[in-house]
Amino acid sequence: MSATQDTPGRELLPVATAPRTRAAVRELLRGRTGAAVAAFATMAAATAVGLLTQPLLGHIVDEVAERRGVDALTVPVLLLAGVAVAQGIGTAFGLSLIARLGETLLAGLRERFVRHALHLPLTQVERAGTGDLTARVTGDIAVVAQAVRHALPELARSVLTIVLTFGALAVLDWRFLLAALIAVPVQAHTAQWYVRRAVPLYAEQRIVTGTQQQQLLDTIGGAATVRAFRMERGHIEAVTSRSSAAVAVTLRGVRLVLRFYARLHIGEYLGLGAVLLTGFWLVRDGSVSIGTATAAALYFHSLFNPINAALVLMDDAQSAQAGLARLVGVADLPVPEPAAPAPDARPGEVTITGLTYAYRPGSPVLHGVDLTVEPGERVALVGASGAGKTTLARIVAGIHDAGGGSVRVGGAVGLVSQEVHVFAGPLEDDLRLARPDADEAALHAALDRVGALEWALTLPDGLRTVVGEGGHRLTATQAQQLALARLVLADPPVAVLDEATAEAGSAGARALERAADRALEGRTALIVAHRLTQARAADRIAVLDGGRLVECGTHDELCATGGVYAGLWETWSSARAVAP
Amino acid sequence: MRTTEVSGRQVLWRAVAGQRRNVAVAAVLGAVHQAAEVFVPVLIGVVVDRAVATGDGDGMVRWLLVLALVYVGLSLSFRLGARAGERAAERSAHGLRIRLVDRVLAPGGGADEGRLPGVLASVATEDTRRVGAVSMAMTLGIGAAMGLLVGAVVLLRISPALGLLVLLGVPVILVLGHYLSKPLERRSAAEQERAAHASGVAADLVAGLRVLKGIGAVPAAVGRYRDTSQASLAATLRAARAEAWQNGLTTGLIGVFIAVVALVGGRLAAEGDVGLGELVAAVGLALFLISPLQTLAWVNAELAQGRASAARIAEVLSSPHAVPVGGPVPGRASGGVLRLRDVHVGGLRGFDLEPLPGEVLGVAVTDPAHAVALVRCLGRETEPEAGGIELDGVSVTALDPAGVRRVVLVAAHDADLFDGTVAENIMAGAPAETDITAAMAAAGADELVHSLPEGAGQQVGERGRFLSGGQRQRVALARALAADPPVLVLHDPTTAVDTVTEARIATGLRALRAEQPGRVTVLITTSPALLAVTDRVVWVDGGRTVDTAPHDELVQRHSSYRSAVLA
Repeated sequence: MSATQDTPGRELLPVATAPRTRAAVRELLRGRTGAAVAAFATMAAATAVGLLTQPLLGHIVDEVAERRGVDALTVPVLLLAGVAVAQGIGTAFGLSLIARLGETLLAGLRERFVRHALHLPLTQVERAGTGDLTARVTGDIAVVAQAVRHALPELARSVLTIVLTFGALAVLDWRFLLAALIAVPVQAHTAQWYVRRAVPLYAEQRIVTGTQQQQLLDTIGGAATVRAFRMERGHIEAVTSRSSAAVAVTLRGVRLVLRFYARLHIGEYLGLGAVLLTGFWLVRDGSVSIGTATAAALYFHSLFNPINAALVLMDDAQSAQAGLARLVGVADLPVPEPAAPAPDARPGEVTITGLTYAYRPGSPVLHGVDLTVEPGERVALVGASGAGKTTLARIVAGIHDAGGGSVRVGGAVGLVSQEVHVFAGPLEDDLRLARPDADEAALHAALDRVGALEWALTLPDGLRTVVGEGGHRLTATQAQQLALARLVLADPPVAVLDEATAEAGSAGARALERAADRALEGRTALIVAHRLTQARAADRIAVLDGGRLVECGTHDELCATGGVYAGLWETWSSARAVAP
Repeated sequence: MRTTEVSGRQVLWRAVAGQRRNVAVAAVLGAVHQAAEVFVPVLIGVVVDRAVATGDGDGMVRWLLVLALVYVGLSLSFRLGARAGERAAERSAHGLRIRLVDRVLAPGGGADEGRLPGVLASVATEDTRRVGAVSMAMTLGIGAAMGLLVGAVVLLRISPALGLLVLLGVPVILVLGHYLSKPLERRSAAEQERAAHASGVAADLVAGLRVLKGIGAVPAAVGRYRDTSQASLAATLRAARAEAWQNGLTTGLIGVFIAVVALVGGRLAAEGDVGLGELVAAVGLALFLISPLQTLAWVNAELAQGRASAARIAEVLSSPHAVPVGGPVPGRASGGVLRLRDVHVGGLRGFDLEPLPGEVLGVAVTDPAHAVALVRCLGRETEPEAGGIELDGVSVTALDPAGVRRVVLVAAHDADLFDGTVAENIMAGAPAETDITAAMAAAGADELVHSLPEGAGQQVGERGRFLSGGQRQRVALARALAADPPVLVLHDPTTAVDTVTEARIATGLRALRAEQPGRVTVLITTSPALLAVTDRVVWVDGGRTVDTAPHDELVQRHSSYRSAVLA
């Protein structure tokens, strides 16, 4: 396994090596050898039966050539019809079995992938950029599924047809096989030639179309801003140049594919000519009948489609392999053991000792922070942007591991951050993520506690209303209340609130503060306070400055000491002061 | 207030007509290619008949040369024809894409109203691609029709009876296959849709990963995904089985049909009505003709998709403008005298606003929705329901919206940053060569730039995602200040910055706007730090203006103001 480096400072999630990817596929196949053998045997049998068509047609030609009379045709024609029916049924069974095998493997793989992906430490996901994981979960799974669904059966069918047809040619006369094989070096060389050029070209195409898509989203999503600042011309130019680039690369791809086909045509002609010529000589020296020569030519003509299909499917196989490597890369990462509560910590207690942390080595954002939060106590974290509040909160919430020092927490920690996400699906399913066994009464109680029950019940289908992406759109405040309701349901003894009210505007912020207040009842809480009213309402205030804990105490105590907090409060309240 | 109305049909037709040279070349060459494909099985029959059966060596060589010529023609016409067709497809898609973006960004707006960016982006990529693909599909269709025609002529010349059998039989087989597999197809489509659901669920869970981690819901989410995936697997397997039987059915039908052709052809040949080579050719053609017919069926499906896509594109292109366009552009020397009279919009009732030259005017609105409506109105994103907005005494409805925006710049709360450096973003609305140092300092962006490893040259990423919320907000504010418009409207510009920085920004922006004489600044916010630096504040509660006075006076006079702004 190797970690891929992209832009500096960004560390993409691992991609499995080719041998490891193959090994992972073998692991998935283990225990299904029987199913695999059955699937391919059925498919092979169906294909083999189908190959009786050409000799039967050849036989009919012979009967005609030898003037055996009209009745002699009945048997071969009935056999032809029988072959068709048998081939149809065999194909249906074979394809079903292949699909069952492929889809079951795929389901196993994607479940394993999602399990490992969701267990990845957030730090690692963020270092890689969330786009990396999202691209794998949507793009790569789709590419592999596409390959399993379409390329795999088609490829299996084509390869079986090719191999068995070569066998059938040999059965007619081994010299037909030799003639047909003349095309193979041309095709093999063409395939190699193509893959060598196609792989980098498609990689480029993916990048260019991705850039185009991003530009479109940027421009269209920001249309109001573009108009306000009259940046229309620049944006249209940017879209035009990205789209032109995508068109140019696509057309280069088209030209490459067309040259590939032109070379395949040469192979087709050489093989067909050789088979016909062989037929000519063999008929002349009496080794085979005209019908056999006809069957051989028809065999070869019927090979065009499967050969082209198999070669074209190499493309899909290539991209599927790349996608698979990215999926296996993540699915191979260990699932961390759930962190056990510190044995010596009292329930609901948080003890931070000598805590340090650095996102980049050499530039620490926390320098030895000590802080103890008593069970049931509310502590507000206050400080300017970049003082380390969020980092401290995230370490307590278990999202980052402590760099140095220790954090001991008595029990589970719940985190509600500013980033709200409403899970697509019924509202009740969203809430049950926090407590899968919650009954309706529990859901109602949780919503009621955060002041969300009223609007939730007026939704078109009540709690069964589909919300999130593609469903009913909730406002930012509603989404935030939902996040608090989840916290109530998860019911952790310790909760961390990080700027959960910042974006709702002043009026909304106050409503959310009340909701948060009720959601935190009975819990130890660490609150990243953006508005100092939140700080004042807390039991204690911890002031961070430049990654150090500089002050700690109640609002009144800190105001009295005239330190950093007193200054902040002064600025905050002077703007809000009622003039004398 | 409508743009030039276009129909889906027009979009489709113009896309093809705009590439008529490429389309014509592709159609002619496609026809040649298909005709050549027809001749391959015919020539196999001829070789068997004239050379293999007779042992004529010269004939063998001669016919192999003919076959070679057919191959050269086949290969070249395919290559050049397909190239022209793909070129037509890509170019018309590109043209449509630009037209769409042009419409979305048009000063009158309205195309992005009620449509999610993702949906519009997909219209600009997927739908344009499908409409472009119609050009390619048409040329392939013409080629396939040509192949059918040539095949028909050849077959009918071999034997009218055999020819008719194949020509009527092939479509019957296809229609029969289609008809028999219809229920299977329907089922498969429904199942596939359910199968697609699993991927959506996975993406959604990953998008909400932070939330899941925050409440320890990862095991619950993993369990939920497993259930979805298994349900999806069951659905997919049903769909795959349906598809497999559909496939088997077609294979069987075609095989039976070939048997019938062999029977009829064999009898005719046995009775001496057709030659041996013609029998071989007829069987070969019967197999071959299936493919142009399938091509035609495919072209039909592509056309249907193309029509649906063209209709979606047409709908965006002809979406009504949000505000009237085409009026005169306000003069460069516009004094920026803005006046709102009795404006009703989105819950605001009878709103008046008249900033004085050089004034910093606050507007404090209790309901965030009212504030947004006002902001959109001032930014010419929407028309007020009633009442008027005037610029230099002229109703803005009669003016060019882009021209109005040059005088009245509205920086929305959720304004976007764009891919590029911090400096490029700040310069976006300013004349080239503007010195942005002062604007950056006033917006508190100077401090931010110092903290970035590459300073003002730092890339912000698409939509500014490499920056934090507070950083984005300061860069956006600096951009608005650098543009230095006669009237600047700022909506909640400091919600994501800390208290100390906010206070610094409030003083800084007031000082910067005061530097140029006559500059008007409207601050729509409930932030006390910002309201404290204004000259007057318009206090709007419940959609109506309650009072207009300096901040301190409002604080003293109204408890409602105190609780909305100071609490």
